[in-house]
Amino acid sequence: MIEDLAFIGQIAVKSSIAVLLATLGEIVAERSGILNLGVEGMMLTGALCAAAAGIATGNPILAVAAGTLAGGLLALVHGFFAVTLRVNQVLSGLALTLLGMGVTSFLGRPLIGIAPGVRLRAVPIPGLADIPVIGDIFFRQSPLAYLAYVLVPLCWYWIFHTGTGLKIRAVGEDAAAVDAAGIDVFRIRYLCTFAGGLGAGLAGAYLSLSYTPGWKESMTGGQGWVAIAMVIFATWNPLRAVVGAFLFGGLTALQFYFQAVGVELVPAYVLKMLPYLLTIAVMILVNVGPGRRFGGPAALGVPFSREG
Amino acid sequence: MAMTTLSSPVLALTDITKRFGDVRANQRVTWTLDAGRIYALLGENGAGKSTLMSILAGRYQPDGGEIHLRGSPVRFLSPAQALASGIGMVYQRFMLVEPLTVAENILLRRGPIRGKRTRDIRQIRELAERYGLLVNPLAPVRTLTMGERQRVEILKLLYRQAEILIFDEPTAVLTHAEIDSLFDVFRQLKEEGKTVVFITHKLEEVMAVADEIAVMRRGRMVSRVAAAQVRSHHDLARMMVGREVILSVQKPPVAIGEAVLTAMGLSGPAGADRLKFQDVDFEVRRGEIFTITGVAGNGQEQLVAALAGLAPMAAGTVSFRNRAYTAARWRRRTGDGLAYIPEDRDRTGSIDAFTLVENFMLTRLDAFGGALWVRRRRAARATAAAVRDFSIQGGGIRGLAAHLSGGNRQKLILARELSRRPDLLIAEQPTQGLDVRATEEVWQALLRQRASAAVLLVTGDLKEALTLSDRIAVMFRGRILDIVSAREAADIDRIKLLMAGLGKRE
Ligand SMILES: Nc1ncnc2c1ncn2[C@@H]1O[C@H](COP(=O)(O)OP(=O)(O)OP(=O)(O)O)[C@@H](O)[C@H]1O
Ligand SMILES: [Mg+2]
Repeated sequence: MIEDLAFIGQIAVKSSIAVLLATLGEIVAERSGILNLGVEGMMLTGALCAAAAGIATGNPILAVAAGTLAGGLLALVHGFFAVTLRVNQVLSGLALTLLGMGVTSFLGRPLIGIAPGVRLRAVPIPGLADIPVIGDIFFRQSPLAYLAYVLVPLCWYWIFHTGTGLKIRAVGEDAAAVDAAGIDVFRIRYLCTFAGGLGAGLAGAYLSLSYTPGWKESMTGGQGWVAIAMVIFATWNPLRAVVGAFLFGGLTALQFYFQAVGVELVPAYVLKMLPYLLTIAVMILVNVGPGRRFGGPAALGVPFSREG
Repeated sequence: MAMTTLSSPVLALTDITKRFGDVRANQRVTWTLDAGRIYALLGENGAGKSTLMSILAGRYQPDGGEIHLRGSPVRFLSPAQALASGIGMVYQRFMLVEPLTVAENILLRRGPIRGKRTRDIRQIRELAERYGLLVNPLAPVRTLTMGERQRVEILKLLYRQAEILIFDEPTAVLTHAEIDSLFDVFRQLKEEGKTVVFITHKLEEVMAVADEIAVMRRGRMVSRVAAAQVRSHHDLARMMVGREVILSVQKPPVAIGEAVLTAMGLSGPAGADRLKFQDVDFEVRRGEIFTITGVAGNGQEQLVAALAGLAPMAAGTVSFRNRAYTAARWRRRTGDGLAYIPEDRDRTGSIDAFTLVENFMLTRLDAFGGALWVRRRRAARATAAAVRDFSIQGGGIRGLAAHLSGGNRQKLILARELSRRPDLLIAEQPTQGLDVRATEEVWQALLRQRASAAVLLVTGDLKEALTLSDRIAVMFRGRILDIVSAREAADIDRIKLLMAGLGKRE
């Protein structure tokens, strides 16, 4: 029984990392007032570029860097439309997702079926990995998972306890006020959009290098959308994103577990739907009832220009 | 009448021009400013005052002209650059990030340095004390009154060591006492050799602190005089408007009719930890202007919001046009008869992204449309008439409300609400930000409303209250202390005492 728990826990963490990384990125972007619905597209692009760089070089660091950077660069396209041209951010983000899906499906074709060049296997952390249950769950994971563990508090500290974080939050609340205070609104928004893309790209790299190494079309399976919902669930706070991501990972893990033991308590397709149903339920719960204002940035999705 | 000064000016504007589409907001404006002086900038609504100041502060780029700072030409591409050169501005709409604290707003650009927090806070406290700008650095801006917010804005500029401080209608949101202390701050800044420019529509304020007066009309700088040379308000008013202004309104007697609105035992708002108004009783009768006054923050704002149906009341009954409503049912009341001119014209009163016509239809959809259609032509005609009657200047009826100057926006809302022919008109600070002529027009319009309606006026401006009202209720800490008839001169002193919470009749 304990072993089963450790097994489920391990898979749960493993399945939550991509959503967690993408959520962290989107939190940073949205805190500055930029809504980027292109997460799914950026994740796919990151996954493809990481897989391709892995095959080409065999170097894990280069592969991760390629995937991450690809996400960041794609985000800059959104930045150009949303910040500089001030077009509707929902449209621009959706376009980014469609672009990412189309381009990766086309360019990724030659990679399908090719053995992955880089596999980031689980690396047990000496000492910690031997703690019963906990060790199995948290400390026998991919190096990118450990990176995510570190990024969560870092992100939180950055947003809530540094001068730059203060500016980011301020821009997300009232860009005109920040501009009048003599701060470059455009630079901050570009920076945060880029950071958001890096998060999504890294999430994609995790999928194609570690979670299920190799490239498959649409391999993100909607996790980008889940990340966007998780931002709201986390009320734009990186620490709470952990809870949301873990819930998502937990449901995914249950599905694997029932498959593995061969019992079908609930039909498999219902289980498959669970993470997404949960996401919807979470959105409803967060948005009804008392205390509805959950600290969302007031200027989310609102473009800024000086002369009105 | 030009100023003669021996030292060279700190700031010189030459032929500054700025267009917004077809509107020429500034046309070849030339002006020089010296250190250690206080300047008042006057002009009608839409004259281009805010635009000119925003150019100085780096928010807008001029289409033509030059700015010289201490003799050398400068060009500000952003507020950041202007601030770096020592020019800072406090805007009509405060530029503070509401969820952040006072200290965070002040330190925003530099970013608070970790570990040095206590030192930063102490520095802000010291600065605040030096200028008498009392405000708690740790309070979130959201919880502050307008007066406190303004102090934060001034602290922001002083913290950045601004040498030229610009204020866009700084007194519009302040109480009398706050205005006096603001002027003390101005004088202190002047003594330290800084330059202060403030925009205002209140002539007595100009006489109280300004050294020099500049007047704009239709985008041009039309005159500049030393304050000492101005003998009367009339001189100033004439300079602003270009013609004689009466400045005193006729108040023809009107027969007082039945009570249109009767409030009994109102308390609220519902759901708040602390009641903002309590046991409020009064009635407003057809043919009279009933005024509620008091120092800002004594519950008038919440009371009006509740009466206008914007916020729920906790207890009491309202009877309106002979129908009684409980607190809960008043909120859900639909139907006509009540018009409301809110204080916050930018958010509650109108929609930025709508044209003037669309804004004009906003509270009159019944008149201009049904479920399936909109009578656009008719609405356009009505809007055009309003624009003519109230001389609303801007980009025309198809222009966006966002592009109207502050005063013109107020006139649009006023025109719309008056055109509804209400039984009760609630007017909240209706002349805030209006120039002398527009103020006069609004006053006349309110007095005319008495013929057909009851008028509930809420104002912090004693002069306005005394000019217009038949009866004045003074609110203090959420209660109406007394209701005074506005006829006798001795009442002025009594009202002032009541506003301070003193002198309640036993
Ligand atoms: N962003 C803008 N876009 C278009 N037109 C504008 C804009 N800002 C101002 N205007 C127009 O420029 C003119 C000058 O406006 P400005 O705000 O400078 O007037 P003001 O003197 O400050 O008036 P008020 O006393 O009413 O505040 C007005 O006709 C206004 O409609
Ligand atoms: Mg103005």
